[in-house]
Amino acid sequence: MAYFGNNQQRGELQELYIDLNDLNFEKKKEAIKKVIAYMTVGKDVSQLFQSVIKCLEFQDIEMKKLIYLYIVNYSRQKPDDAIMVIQNFRKDVRKSENPLVRALAIRTFGCLRVPKLNEYLIEPLKDCIQDDDPYVRKTAVLCVPKVFEVSPELCPAILEQLQKLLEKESNALVLANLIQSMREIEVLYGKQLIILNPKIIQKLLLAVDECIEWGQIFILDYLATHDPVDSKQAETIIERSLPRLSHINPTVTFCAVKLILKYLDYLDNGDLVKNLCKKISPSIISLLSWNQPEIQYTILRNISLILQKFPILFENEVKVFFCSFNEPYYIKYEKLEIMVRICDSKNFLQVLNELKIYINEADPHFVRKTIKSIGKIAIMYDKALQEAVTILIEFAKNVQQANEPVQELFIQMQILYRKNRYLYKSNDSLKILFNILEYANEPEAKSACAWIVGEFAEFIPKSVEKMQEYIDHFLLEDRLVQLQLLTSGVKLYIKYPSLCSALIQQLINSAKDSFNPDVRDRTYIYWRLLSTDPELVKNLVCYQVKGSQQFQKDIRLWETKDLIIALENMGSISNLFHKLPNQLYKNIKVRNNHQKEAKIYKVDDKLESPSKEQQIKNDQQNQPPQQNQDLDLLNFEEPASNNNQSNNKNKIDVYDLI
Amino acid sequence: MISSIVFINHKGEILIYRVYKDDITRSETTQFCAKIVATKENKECPIINIDGTSFIHITIKDIVVLATTKVNVNVAMTLQFLYQLVKVCRAYFGGEFDENCIKKHFVLIYEILDEVMDYGVPQIADADLLKKYIQEGGLKPELMNDVEKLKQLTSQATGATSWRPPNLVYRKNEVYLDVIESVNVLMSVKGTILKADVAGSIQVKCLLSGMPECKFGMNDKLLMQREPRKPGQTTTDKGITIDDLKFHQCVKLPKFDKERAITFIPPDGQFELMTYRITENINLPFKIMPVYNELGKNKLEIRVKIKSIFEKNLFATNLAIKIPVPKNTANVTTNSAIGKAKHEPDQQGVIWRIKKYPGDFEALLRCEIDLGQTTNQQPWIKPPISMEFQVPMFTASGLRVRFLRIYEKAGYKPTKWIRYITKAGEYLHRL
Repeated sequence: MAYFGNNQQRGELQELYIDLNDLNFEKKKEAIKKVIAYMTVGKDVSQLFQSVIKCLEFQDIEMKKLIYLYIVNYSRQKPDDAIMVIQNFRKDVRKSENPLVRALAIRTFGCLRVPKLNEYLIEPLKDCIQDDDPYVRKTAVLCVPKVFEVSPELCPAILEQLQKLLEKESNALVLANLIQSMREIEVLYGKQLIILNPKIIQKLLLAVDECIEWGQIFILDYLATHDPVDSKQAETIIERSLPRLSHINPTVTFCAVKLILKYLDYLDNGDLVKNLCKKISPSIISLLSWNQPEIQYTILRNISLILQKFPILFENEVKVFFCSFNEPYYIKYEKLEIMVRICDSKNFLQVLNELKIYINEADPHFVRKTIKSIGKIAIMYDKALQEAVTILIEFAKNVQQANEPVQELFIQMQILYRKNRYLYKSNDSLKILFNILEYANEPEAKSACAWIVGEFAEFIPKSVEKMQEYIDHFLLEDRLVQLQLLTSGVKLYIKYPSLCSALIQQLINSAKDSFNPDVRDRTYIYWRLLSTDPELVKNLVCYQVKGSQQFQKDIRLWETKDLIIALENMGSISNLFHKLPNQLYKNIKVRNNHQKEAKIYKVDDKLESPSKEQQIKNDQQNQPPQQNQDLDLLNFEEPASNNNQSNNKNKIDVYDLI
Repeated sequence: MISSIVFINHKGEILIYRVYKDDITRSETTQFCAKIVATKENKECPIINIDGTSFIHITIKDIVVLATTKVNVNVAMTLQFLYQLVKVCRAYFGGEFDENCIKKHFVLIYEILDEVMDYGVPQIADADLLKKYIQEGGLKPELMNDVEKLKQLTSQATGATSWRPPNLVYRKNEVYLDVIESVNVLMSVKGTILKADVAGSIQVKCLLSGMPECKFGMNDKLLMQREPRKPGQTTTDKGITIDDLKFHQCVKLPKFDKERAITFIPPDGQFELMTYRITENINLPFKIMPVYNELGKNKLEIRVKIKSIFEKNLFATNLAIKIPVPKNTANVTTNSAIGKAKHEPDQQGVIWRIKKYPGDFEALLRCEIDLGQTTNQQPWIKPPISMEFQVPMFTASGLRVRFLRIYEKAGYKPTKWIRYITKAGEYLHRL
């Protein structure tokens, strides 16, 4: 603790200088520790470089490590002084009998990162790669990318040496480091270095059994990027990786899951695939209940990917994603999202019942997401609609202030009403909502309210007064709200022409002064239309969709064509952000994908004869003709855009009218 | 891979700063400290991206342990490595991990960091193994000059059984087994079980000489089906279904995968042999039956009945049942035949503690809650009732250890001890 005092005075470096040059060994060592402490807190102690490296003459290993740490930190600032330590390193690497010292020297040597020093390093490095001691070898192997990064021109011979080592190395740990090291170089080099053949694959699989946990991860991770040549090879590799599912390190398990899932596509034997799925599923579920929330989070972020390609793995497992009261919210958000994705025609009621509980939680953001999820489920499953409205209206009864969840409530209720207009009758929903309209303050929620008032004017006792209130502050509203008010106002006028003539006049007067050109344009269109053909307006704005409407039901996260690349990168940062690696990192090239198409593994293909995949495709194909209606319903942009051409002509007339 | 490992205190000050690749500047890291750690945003998500640099971190009490990177690393591995790093530090510091001991042992931590990671790639990070060649105050000079010993050390460290040093000798060979089960259960308001599972762990303390080969067996249904029936033996024990098992690195996984046999050469001393998860046929040791009544505007009544569902000769110990009460609780009167119940405002609940609770027994607690006046008209959001307990010599899953066979060249007969205990994990009943 003493080293971290804040009382740095001017002479402190001077004092350290004196201590470092003291003849007393203990004093020197204390001074070195102080130097490192200053370095840690970010003070510049590079001036002491020469004095520090002088202390290298002692054979005390603890001090040596500290000095090396210091040198690594400042070597780039003082390349000329760093040359002085080269002899020391070379002596350690070549002469020391102690493998720990040899390894330490070669490890540190690589970190100097001064190009002109690297030429002194090549020869000792070559020796170390051939060292008798595996501990030195595993260190030397990792030293190569360090050198390559700074001076690639010095390395061709060493790269060849590495490739040879891959053929003959028998120590599992060295092999694992070797794979990792060569992969790092491949990224820097842009060329393939590791050339897999059946013999090497065999060796790697053997090494997985003998290696420390991290080594197992490197090897499994690497094999997951490999495309097996045939079903037989895929089967062998899967078989040899299966035992890793029982490893206590969650990442080892997860890498094994990734590898197996990827190779499933290459298997010919359908029964084998089913059996494997049965084995993998419990492993993933164990990972999901891992007691370290951070790990749990990373796994959860990858679930939507697995779920999309392998729905079969989570059959009947929706309960796993139920939130516990005391979990961190970042976990709860993920679980909520997955619950919507995992929801199907069998379990939606179970999910809704669970969401009903979350809606009473304290965190407004979480409650908001819950409400949104309820809305999403209701859109996907017609049968869920009634239950969803019941839950939301029950919630609406207790609303007492304008908060985040209430905003979402209005937005979702509007969508549900659109899906089925007659819902307004159930649970007195309209009346209850009307009582809390004043709590809407976000533009989207306000616009939803305005829509409700216009759409159901005849069932709301004071709809005209309410609209009047809104219109009084028209120009203060957001563009979204203004557009909606415009349409709703017109609707109201058509429903009660005599009652609303003043209202519509005021509305048009305010709206034509809006700062927003869209709003002004639409105002003129309505104005023009109302004055020429009110009947047409009626057909336009009081349009009611017959039959069921198309809503966006596709909640897939990934494009089907990206599934394989995403799967290969399971667990990585890019997947955590639900992106492909090349979308997040500019220097990563997308690997050429030899596979035709990613297979989707469903519970039972026969049950859904046009598979979901196709259904979604169909939906998408059906979309274009429907889309206009959707747009109309969602944004009320449609009348404008549809009549755009004619409007342009009309515009002149409208101006004339003014 | 990883560019640097940083330890940060809750104020956002850097305590340890070890760089493995210099593609991330110190100022980027201090920016993270100032923006995220000092504002407590680190509790919101374990990974944060700022301008192409990823900050992956865990928070242990007040200390943030951070790994930075600019490449597409495996996040799960990085997090697991950070946890492992903390575990190693704790092993060195006698279980402690706080700002004081980090500052006190910073030299040692740098040595550890030098060893457990190289060029951002995780390396040997097993505390027992590291202790052999990294010690506070440096290694003894005898070892440093004893080339044979050093060779033995490095070959152990890089070998296939890195967890066990050769040539151990114990005068008395002993093995202690602890089966510890945590029951997690979530019951709905009506008392139906929404989800229930057992997270089990088998802890072993091994004091054995030489290189013993151990074989461990439980009443695992899948294993017992494979075993040939002994003639004349009719067992009713069909075994239990275990959903998933995870093993310590010493267990030979391929053998388990093929034969479902658990075989291993144990590390020396204490270790966690395995963890397991069971969801079928769980014997919940306690049933909770709450009744919630609103007696007028400012008065609530909560009655909680608990019932133990295990044999009469067993006892549960250290029960604590937490019944949540609203924030504006002014006064609580409790009434129960056994144990002590008390309103603890800092926990926002009534805690009902019972030291010892017999099997097959019912007890009732009645709480009358008077509420104070508040301006906040929000309805009370009721957290679930939670429960803590321990039931020794009981396993909620019904798991039993059937054998632990130990083979060693010397042919000694070790003494074996075994204990079972079931604890409450998240034992919740919605109110």
